Amino acid sequence: MRVDPWLRLRFNLAMNKKIALVLILLFGAGLNSFAQTNSTPGAPTAGIVAATKKFLATLDDAQRGKVVFDFKDEAQRKRWSNLPTAIFKRQGLRMGDLTKPQREAVLAVLAAALSPQGYEKILQIVEADELLRKSSGERMFGRDEYYVSLLGQPSTTEPWMIQFGGHHLGLNITLAGEQRTLAPSHTGAQPAIYELEGKTVRPLGRETDKAFALLSSLNEAQRKQAILDFQMRDLVLGPGRDGQTIQPEGVKGSALTEKQRQMLLDLASEWTGILHEAVAKTKMDEMRKSIAETWFAWSGPTEKGSAAYFRIQGPTVIIEYAPQRLGGDATKHIHTIYRDPTNDYGRKWWKP
Amino acid sequence: MVEAVSPTLCRLPLLLALLAVPSAVFAHRDDQYLQATLVAIEPSGVRLQINLTPGVAVAEQVIARIDHDRDGAISKNEAVAYAESLRRDLTLRMDGRDLELKLTASEFVPPAELRTGSGIIQMEFSAISERLAAGPHRLTLENRHLTGISVYLINAAQPRFATVQITRQKRNENQSAGEIEFTFHPFRPKIAVPAGPT
Repeated sequence: MRVDPWLRLRFNLAMNKKIALVLILLFGAGLNSFAQTNSTPGAPTAGIVAATKKFLATLDDAQRGKVVFDFKDEAQRKRWSNLPTAIFKRQGLRMGDLTKPQREAVLAVLAAALSPQGYEKILQIVEADELLRKSSGERMFGRDEYYVSLLGQPSTTEPWMIQFGGHHLGLNITLAGEQRTLAPSHTGAQPAIYELEGKTVRPLGRETDKAFALLSSLNEAQRKQAILDFQMRDLVLGPGRDGQTIQPEGVKGSALTEKQRQMLLDLASEWTGILHEAVAKTKMDEMRKSIAETWFAWSGPTEKGSAAYFRIQGPTVIIEYAPQRLGGDATKHIHTIYRDPTNDYGRKWWKP
Repeated sequence: MVEAVSPTLCRLPLLLALLAVPSAVFAHRDDQYLQATLVAIEPSGVRLQINLTPGVAVAEQVIARIDHDRDGAISKNEAVAYAESLRRDLTLRMDGRDLELKLTASEFVPPAELRTGSGIIQMEFSAISERLAAGPHRLTLENRHLTGISVYLINAAQPRFATVQITRQKRNENQSAGEIEFTFHPFRPKIAVPAGPT
């Protein structure tokens, strides 16, 4: 089975960036300049702006008119979903309607804005949907059915936004100067496990494994608090639930050991770490400060690898992970949501 | 992770194969009617914010209950009548006493959008409670609307004011019924609670 070259190219780019980062960790700051040349560690907004302007330069006037929305366009800001495009209509530019250089320019924008592991995760989600297209024969799935849009003009000072999404993906990246947020964003996968040249790929595999590891670390008293005794059939605060906040449940961070708190933060980093390292670290520092007020809840079976729902909720974060029981194996169809109840769409940075 | 995935991703051509994805499994919530309720408790009463999302396979069944004249549009009277039928299927009790629900807001998308499986009907019901006494209270909600095709979510919204403190939530297994225990602190300053857990 042949993979579109643009995808391979970006996979390779991601891997190069990851290797550079590993080298930095291994050999210290001396290689920092190498990494900055070959990737975008720290990723100042200027780099993302440059990549976005480069993408815009590949477009004709009509395409630019379709991809750029007014920053105040609330309808477009909220136009994202877990559903495929045949069911939920996106606006912006469809990847399948772009030329190869244009698609590569879109991916370069994502590569600039995301961490290597975040970028890899996004590509794996898209690739899962491509497999779904091939297995189902349904045209509403697949790499072509992802849309890119911008709200506002790329800027190092004024707020603007990058949206990229389709089935099982709704990335909403708001930038305001050097501040950036991914909230709210949706990730999902179907199939959530597939083979790629004999190797198993699990776009949301680390999320799953880390959650089960945290659950298994809980003692009986903690589990009694964490495990909810009712079914969670879907995300509570998924797409379309902007502005709502629920009462937290489960076991509170203050009842966890220091090691368990670290495990909880590490689990959350699978979402916060989709964005580039510099901003991900800021977000993680913020979460660490309120870890005692952060809750972990679980619903469903507790055997490792089974289909179970979990939620992380703290003052500045809500994460949900919900396997979908829709006739098939729920472990192979997963929806997640990431929100910041204090700063979805970066509103605290720009709302008057 | 880098070491494990990198060789795979760098090799060409990439042979992709599903471990197991039967073609019928690319499902969404086709045959279920998702009824998600947020329960907002305030000193003056209770609000139920209900999002109703019929899946593709049950959309006609739901539309038939709303668009009585089958003209492909939902009139104001039809919307009110459907809201009333939902209201009759809800039971809200505070400390064992029934609270009377009144429709305070609703938004119906056209039937054509409901048929896609992405259309959401939004309704808000409110109940004015008698003057709450300081101390613990128990609110229960039961939803019996279209039980044969529905899945349910019931969650307490995070209180907007520090005077209300949720202490416990319980649901039955499928979340068609829930119980929220809360404490009313009338002498706390009635200031808005910042987003985040109490």
